[in-house]
Amino acid sequence: MHFNLLLDQSDKVHIIPSQGEIPEGDWEVLYPGIPFYIAQELLREIDNEYSWGSKRKKRNLFRRKKEAMEKSTIKRKILSNLKNHPSLSKFTWQWMSKKSLKETKEEEAEKVKIPTSMEEKEKIKVDFLRRTEGRVLTKGDLQRLGQESNLSYIEILKLCQEQVNEGKGEWLSGLERNRMGWRCQRCGETKVEEWISIYGRAATCPSCASLGSLSSLNTLYRSLNNQNKATNENNGVSRNNTSRNNTISRDDVVIRNKFNEVNTSFAKSKIIFSPRWELTPAQKKAAEEILSFVKSEEPQGQVNSLFEKGFQHKKGFQKEILLWAACGAGKTEVCFPAAAWALNNNQKVLFAAPRQDVVWDIAPRLEGDFPNLSLGVHTGTSPQRFTPSQFVVATTHQILRFYQAFDLIFLDEMDAFPYYGNKALAWGIEKALKDTGKIVYLTATPSPESLQKVKRGKMQLLTLPARHHGHPIPVPQWKKFTGNPDPRQGNAEKVIKNLLPRIEELGKAGPILLFVPQISWVNPWVQLLQEFLPQRSIEGSFSSDPNRREKIENLRKGSFQLFVCTSILERGVTFPRAQVIVLGADHEIFDERSLVQMAGRVGRSRECPTGTALFLAPKTTPAIK
Amino acid sequence: MLQTKDYSGIRAGINAYYFLEVYFLRGGMSVVAKLEPIWQELKALARTFFYTPEKNCLLCEKSSAEGEFCLDCLEEYFYPELPRCVNCGKLIPKEQIKCTDCQVGKGPRGLDKVIALGYYGGAWREFIQNVKYKAQPYQLKKISSFLGNFAISHLPPPHYLIPVPLHQERLAERGFNQAEEIASLLQWECGIPLYSPNPLQRLENTPSQVGLGREERLQNLKGTIGFLPGEAEKLKGAKVWLIDDITTTGATLEHCAYELKKIGVKKVFGLVLAAGLEKRK
Ligand SMILES: [Zn+2]
Ligand SMILES: [Zn+2]
Ligand SMILES: [Zn+2]
Repeated sequence: MHFNLLLDQSDKVHIIPSQGEIPEGDWEVLYPGIPFYIAQELLREIDNEYSWGSKRKKRNLFRRKKEAMEKSTIKRKILSNLKNHPSLSKFTWQWMSKKSLKETKEEEAEKVKIPTSMEEKEKIKVDFLRRTEGRVLTKGDLQRLGQESNLSYIEILKLCQEQVNEGKGEWLSGLERNRMGWRCQRCGETKVEEWISIYGRAATCPSCASLGSLSSLNTLYRSLNNQNKATNENNGVSRNNTSRNNTISRDDVVIRNKFNEVNTSFAKSKIIFSPRWELTPAQKKAAEEILSFVKSEEPQGQVNSLFEKGFQHKKGFQKEILLWAACGAGKTEVCFPAAAWALNNNQKVLFAAPRQDVVWDIAPRLEGDFPNLSLGVHTGTSPQRFTPSQFVVATTHQILRFYQAFDLIFLDEMDAFPYYGNKALAWGIEKALKDTGKIVYLTATPSPESLQKVKRGKMQLLTLPARHHGHPIPVPQWKKFTGNPDPRQGNAEKVIKNLLPRIEELGKAGPILLFVPQISWVNPWVQLLQEFLPQRSIEGSFSSDPNRREKIENLRKGSFQLFVCTSILERGVTFPRAQVIVLGADHEIFDERSLVQMAGRVGRSRECPTGTALFLAPKTTPAIK
Repeated sequence: MLQTKDYSGIRAGINAYYFLEVYFLRGGMSVVAKLEPIWQELKALARTFFYTPEKNCLLCEKSSAEGEFCLDCLEEYFYPELPRCVNCGKLIPKEQIKCTDCQVGKGPRGLDKVIALGYYGGAWREFIQNVKYKAQPYQLKKISSFLGNFAISHLPPPHYLIPVPLHQERLAERGFNQAEEIASLLQWECGIPLYSPNPLQRLENTPSQVGLGREERLQNLKGTIGFLPGEAEKLKGAKVWLIDDITTTGATLEHCAYELKKIGVKKVFGLVLAAGLEKRK
């Protein structure tokens, strides 16, 4: 995606997409097109020369207004800057007037289908606004958006530029550089890979490549179009945004009203919240507190008694709350009443979890409890869609695709990989949340950092102790177990013979989850068990298994009696009557947190609240205790 | 894992430490804050002095004591034991000199020898595609010594390196020409001069070559590569390595070689990162 500098009739310089439409009027365009970042730099240079020039005339203190440069001066300045540029001097630069361009552009214009009526035009624009609201889009995204809404790429660029001209959207270069170095504009990464392009220094972000590669030569389109208008950080090109604003037509007001109307129509058709089960008293209390946190506009003062002593609770509006819920306490459902309130107050809600499994687990539960909700599900493997939805469930990585989009974010298992310690995603959440928005963190095992935050009064703390069916977490039993469970060592058969009675015993109560410490153990163990227990349905999976989603779906349906896995299932996935065996529980990979999480898989349902968790190891480790 | 390489490294690390110490004492906090990024850099630098960096295979990320690629990947993608078709560079079975296509005269003409570093498939293909389509030209420098060693042991020394030019429009979009990046690696690694500016020029935007046979490709390319005026004289009688990222039918290489020979270049040797693999029947 390339951009050109455009000099308009009032001697202002703009940056416009090369493939987009050129506005009416007496202007000239600098050719060839260049990456947005380079165009921005050129514009900045001209701006600097402006201010430097006025500094020299500092004697006249009242002469603040910049001296307007003549059109020919600007043109000459830009060309001479280009001539002195180490890389850009190689190009053949020329200013082209509308006349000389008309023919080529007319050819292109023919390819663009022109909407026949005002009404159709209006419909297209409203649709575009709704699909891009709160989004950050790459070139690939814009192309997909075009396909989805049956528009050509050029038409999409035109719509984007229209928003940019009105200050309701902006172009961003993928990475930007200041004195400190490069920064990725999508994920905030500063450790990037630098290289030399034909335009000079360039850089590529390695951190968010899973969302599509992004370099400083790429451009992002970011919608600034929402009720709580975002501040425009982009001072370098502000001229670009403001200059043509004053001519917003009446049609435009109509469209905007229409957009708001469609948007609020979410609220008009009331979101129905019909929970399929009743909350326990403890859950109810927590749900009420979260609801009042979400509703609150005034500072709140509840601090868990544990930390009250010696710490002054900071009076002030709090954006964040931490729900520390015991494993299996039913923390997800606790959030639903608050979510329902937010949805019915026309707020946008995000539920983010670090793992895909959890997202696929929660989406159907939400659909069950909110029967008329338009739910958007975003994971790394689901195709990127732009259908507007008021409630989004996403993996944490996908948050980077949003900008100022949500009023309320629920962040599940905040201490789990990959969120824990990942700066980029913290940055992403900060960006995706509206300025007035709030965050609810959900965790079973809070990190020391988040507890520290609570202690300092930066965040509220809520605890939810009991399991939602009132039964305590099963105390995991440690069974001494000799023999090396590593399937590559010779005595796996001996191990399996020791294991069989346990499987028999637990199998009566429900399906068994057999946790192993290494991916490479999964398939050998599945084979071994299938050999010894041919009458049972046995499967296994691990994080990089391509069929993982399907298998876990089947597991949830109860298709397997025995399921071998690594810690992938350790967080957030629920299914009835589960029993747990941890093989090689003394393995260094299992720390206390993951062992608690694994034991927490046991019996997470109302029908069968009890269950057994067996940790098998030749010796105990501190983590097992 | 603390392995000291040699004492000069330690000394440099200690010096870096003292340098910072002095700044800490003199500067107060504001300077320290400003120095934070430098401090991080220096710490990283010091680490490289004190530790032997852990080497991972560039293709499968397994730790590899062998260097850039682990033994498995070496065997799977680079086949060090297999010869290359002298005519088109393809990887061919042992004891063969030309691939079956070239044996019946369907290969590229006009090149004196062509060699491919590896087989265009799997993780090696992904590596090259990441370089080209995911804005990762910086990955190439990781293979420079591997490529350099391969090139000098299979090709006679040339006077110049000449990369295959890229279409103007694609160059503008991508921001770099991968063939030129590879050539500049070899310039650095083997000390062979890269001919600059590139005497070969794309004259117009060629339609994509994907899905076309060799004859069609040649037809497609006719008149699309030209010669920079004024450079012809200097290249008369020279030996050159013609560099590209991949070759499929050899049509592009043939076309460039034709233009080079036309102005009197004596020998043209082709070098690419990847080509096809012909299995024994
Ligand atoms: Zn990034
Ligand atoms: Zn490898
Ligand atoms: Zn051949």
